[in-house]
Amino acid sequence: MKKIIALLMAVLMTVGMLAACSNTPVENNPPADETKGQVDTPETPDTPAEKEKVTLKVWADQGELELIEKLCNEFAAAHTEKEYTFEYGAVGAVDGKTRYLEDPAAAADVFLFADDQLVDLVKADALYEVTRNTDAIIAANTPGSIGAASYEGTLYGYPMTSDNGYFLYYDKSVFTEEDLATLDGILAAANAAGKQVHMDVSNGWYLASFFLGNGCKLTIEDGKQVIDFNNANGLAAAEAIRTFCNNPAFVTGDDSVLAGGIGDAIACGVSGTWMATAIQEKLGDNYGCCKLPTFTCGDKQIQMGSFLGCKIYGVNSQTAYPVDAMELAEYLTAEAAQIERYKVLNYGPSNVNALADETIASNLALQALSAQSEFAVSQMVLGGFWTPAEAFGAELEAHSTADLQTMLDQLVAQALQG
Amino acid sequence: MRRNNNQNVLISAAAKGSTWTRLSIFVMGTGCVRYKQYIRGLIYFLTEIGFFCFFRNFALQYLSKFSTLGTETQKKVWNEELQIFQRFPGDNSMLILLYSVLSLAVVIVFVYIWYANIRDAWNAQQSLEQGRKINGFRDDLRSLTHERFHITLLSMPMLTLVLFTLLPIIFMILIAFTNFDADHQPPGNLFTWVGMTNVTDIFLGNEIKTNTFFGLLGWTIIWAILATFTNYILGMLLAVAINSKMVKLKQVWRTCFIIAIAIPQFVSLLLISRALEPAGAVNVLLQKVGLISQPLPFLLDPTLARITVVVVNMWIGIPYTMMTFSGVLMNIPAELYESAEIDGAGPIRRFTSITLPYMIFVTAPATITTFVTNFNNFNVIYLLTAGGPFSLDYYQAGKTDLLVTWLYKLTVNRNDYSLASTIGIFIFVLVSTCSLLVYNRTGAVRKEDQFR
Repeated sequence: MKKIIALLMAVLMTVGMLAACSNTPVENNPPADETKGQVDTPETPDTPAEKEKVTLKVWADQGELELIEKLCNEFAAAHTEKEYTFEYGAVGAVDGKTRYLEDPAAAADVFLFADDQLVDLVKADALYEVTRNTDAIIAANTPGSIGAASYEGTLYGYPMTSDNGYFLYYDKSVFTEEDLATLDGILAAANAAGKQVHMDVSNGWYLASFFLGNGCKLTIEDGKQVIDFNNANGLAAAEAIRTFCNNPAFVTGDDSVLAGGIGDAIACGVSGTWMATAIQEKLGDNYGCCKLPTFTCGDKQIQMGSFLGCKIYGVNSQTAYPVDAMELAEYLTAEAAQIERYKVLNYGPSNVNALADETIASNLALQALSAQSEFAVSQMVLGGFWTPAEAFGAELEAHSTADLQTMLDQLVAQALQG
Repeated sequence: MRRNNNQNVLISAAAKGSTWTRLSIFVMGTGCVRYKQYIRGLIYFLTEIGFFCFFRNFALQYLSKFSTLGTETQKKVWNEELQIFQRFPGDNSMLILLYSVLSLAVVIVFVYIWYANIRDAWNAQQSLEQGRKINGFRDDLRSLTHERFHITLLSMPMLTLVLFTLLPIIFMILIAFTNFDADHQPPGNLFTWVGMTNVTDIFLGNEIKTNTFFGLLGWTIIWAILATFTNYILGMLLAVAINSKMVKLKQVWRTCFIIAIAIPQFVSLLLISRALEPAGAVNVLLQKVGLISQPLPFLLDPTLARITVVVVNMWIGIPYTMMTFSGVLMNIPAELYESAEIDGAGPIRRFTSITLPYMIFVTAPATITTFVTNFNNFNVIYLLTAGGPFSLDYYQAGKTDLLVTWLYKLTVNRNDYSLASTIGIFIFVLVSTCSLLVYNRTGAVRKEDQFR
């Protein structure tokens, strides 16, 4: 009897373990099958079946999925010669690269990523080059967004938005037009009103503004990071950041700090279009936004630079239906889709015609972004930059008195490793 | 002894075995069939066929590339008709490594079965020669519920353990000897063996990585000690205080502290992290009250951030230790205290001679577990500071990062799997050696039989 009970226990334990682990084999197996399946797929797209069945997996941010689903259904309705089935996954542009590389074969056929992930994706041969209808796509989008979706002269993706940049939000009751021209003017006015100026300096994305403004280089050549923040120009910019951080009116923190404080303790702050609605609600009639100011660098006034990034739809190089996936990606980023996306989600378009659309052209935040875009560069940054840049900014925010040249040398050395 | 036996069986079967026994070396099961163990022989034979099918159709393609982990990357060819650069799949180093490990495990199991097949044939031959009874299949089945019942019991748990624990661990360990990082991501780039490069990078070669590793190791050890013992000592004192005769409303006090546990840990940690920011609730409050004029850099200054995580961890951890100690305290026999009191021992003497030894004896093994948990305490650090403030002296890490959070960042943010895997091995070796050593020296283990 005892033995039977013991045996039952053992079986139960085993079943329990199998149940607990059942995810592992399920996740591990598909890549093998799909990779094998790929060998004979290339013929499929051009064999004229009566009604070919095409299954496409599409990734988008959770909040965008509803719209994407609608657009995909419209796409299927417009292409009745094939039978389309869509699968959706909630993977936004931020996680595009990470989730793709986890398992390329199981990733979406058409997936979204931010332009700073482009180089890593190209290196991993993750993307199909845009080789169909290329000229029309290049003509339809702003040069900046096409540049951001290209690497070494080849277009690798379909720009969906071009609003991933930053500019200044301000409270009209605190500043005059003249104050807003220079950082010094802004700080003086804020100090006079007993309010604060917000900028997340301990974030490489915002930190770079000073360096880029003063002519420093941050780009990628031959797959390697090129960065010269530790030259004389960089040092001058770093001095300016230190002065800014040591000003009593300076305050740091992420977007939630800006959203919470603007109109109360905070008079103005640097952020992007995604904050427009929240800030407009808080400031009401005092809502204003404009390009970034100039800052005092040595004895000159230098315009602050910025990044202008895009969200891009890419076609998975391991897809079984490359042509269909390309057509879908093109449809999802076409003029009509971009206007629709602005109306539903408030995303700033990369399409030239969409930008000229009345409702979009009158958006204050997008106007400020476009004024700033003159001083913006696309984000040619490999992953190694962000952590040391954050460390650099954090030290200045903590009013460190360490030698700036040493810190910049360390920053550059680390960024080059990435 | 056992090893000798194994060799003997193989040698004597080859030297003195009958033709059929010798044939089993090549065609499995023939010996068994010859000595009338038909079903057993058939099973051996089918196993052999199955194995060779598996080897030819599955294992070979991976094992043949195991030494290089693949050489062909995904190919692209211009397709004029479709106007695209069509892709043709190449090798995938990760899959080659993964399935090679699996295949090797199968090969090892097969070799053992092959050996068992010869041994059985040889034993059966000898039994026949010496006139002993040869077990039939029915006898074999019967033995599985009798003298070999342990095999029946343990086979399935062992199998799952090997499949889902041992093989993945071997896979991870092997990654430490490759260059699987952000620049070697299949299918565009393959990774390959690089020997001990990752290990030397950490311990001697690469200045910044060595610096990061030892910096973080030092902090991890300090953190584990502080986090464990602040909670241990303060939790114990709290429990003793609440348990003392002078305190009224014991249940109410206990409940108060347990409320801190009732809120999910990650919620309270994220909230605290928000509250401690320069523009967060704590700083704003202190400034409004007028205690400080500038916000305090709770999470921005390295030293202050380290103190902050230890203090916050106390707030989260003390209720747990208090619970444990309350339970232990209530179990100390009251007679001990009574007789001590009669002998004239004061409250301090009673605490140091009865309460303390008793509690340490009971909780020592649990404390080791706590220490190991704290060594790898991902939640508190990652949710509170995310390792920050980041440092320019460190490679992709900050001043409050533990080895385990650094490992997480290397894998998730940087795809630096090989380096992370090396650190993982090191953490494992360090933690397991330490805890085994300490565990075997604790009173609870050495004097298992003399529970006081």
